[in-house]
Amino acid sequence: MMRRAAFWIVATLAVAAVVHYFTLVRTPGFIMNKVMMRMGEVNHIHHQGRVTDKSRGVVRPSPDLLYSVCPFDLSQGALHVTGKVPKGTYWSVSIFDSDTNNFYVKNDRQAKGSVDLLVTTPTNDVRRPKGATEVISPTAKGLVLFRTLVNDEKDFAAIDAVRRTANCELIRSRAS
Amino acid sequence: MLRFLLKLLACLIVGTALGLAATWVAVTRLNFGTVSNGPWRMSLLTGSAQSGPYLRANIALHGLLALNRSETVYYTADHDSAGEWLDGNCFYKIEGREPSARWWSITAYGEDDYLMKNKYDLWSISGETVQLKSDSTFTITASKHRAPTNWIPITQRRFSLTLRLYNPGVGVVDDPANAMVPVIKRSVCL
Repeated sequence: MMRRAAFWIVATLAVAAVVHYFTLVRTPGFIMNKVMMRMGEVNHIHHQGRVTDKSRGVVRPSPDLLYSVCPFDLSQGALHVTGKVPKGTYWSVSIFDSDTNNFYVKNDRQAKGSVDLLVTTPTNDVRRPKGATEVISPTAKGLVLFRTLVNDEKDFAAIDAVRRTANCELIRSRAS
Repeated sequence: MLRFLLKLLACLIVGTALGLAATWVAVTRLNFGTVSNGPWRMSLLTGSAQSGPYLRANIALHGLLALNRSETVYYTADHDSAGEWLDGNCFYKIEGREPSARWWSITAYGEDDYLMKNKYDLWSISGETVQLKSDSTFTITASKHRAPTNWIPITQRRFSLTLRLYNPGVGVVDDPANAMVPVIKRSVCL
């Protein structure tokens, strides 16, 4: 009798452990996938408006930053990321894999005026555009995020115009 | 046979419920991989691949797309310096000196981790907008009722604060638990 009860208790705890581990490991990918779908068409840049209380894309957004996002899917090729860097304010481009890991970041001080990246996977056969820096993504899906600080409201129009030069474009793999 | 199947079903239901509850507690109530600095908490491995499943799930829920520590340090507070939960019915004085970073800001969020609706469209005070006193210190007021300067409106009972340090100083990156950060003092509650 005791043995049977112990068996069911252990079995229940084993089910709990499996469910716990599975949901824990899957949580970041699940949330990232949901966010990517909310951002819009993949392999295209989406320049978001000012962050307000109505902004519901990503938790804890900064109202002082302008965000431009590019959800990507490298299964068909590589992503060419270009753009100018605004002067006199904080700016960064960061790249996240489908498990939410931030595997690349460059800010305005490091970028020196412009950014030109080719985000790709080890298996993609794509001709690298001249001058572009190759960045290997650990996963085929992910997200490029540009942050631009509006450090002075009177400079908003100028800062916004420069950040909107950011672009993402799929370069199809020669094999696809 | 029927008895066995019923027991198996109960085992699966209870096990699944326990597993989901454990995940919920782990990602919402426990602070894996974090350090404290006064009322502020920060994740040492935010954004990095080494952050482990617990911290990664926690960040995905509460700080998705956060940058890694060398680029930006994020401190979050849902308690004041006395250890009491932040309460939207109280006045809070956030006092300190400008932290070591190229740019900093303090932003208030509602319980759902989004900005709280307010008629002033005001959610943060930054190094650009803060009014410093003559001794280079500042006092920021977080409250429902308007303060004359350095005011962050709070319109929900339960809220939290995020202190962002973009391009933080080396001392902050190396030892965020002992970096200079503001204190959060509760004054009066209505």
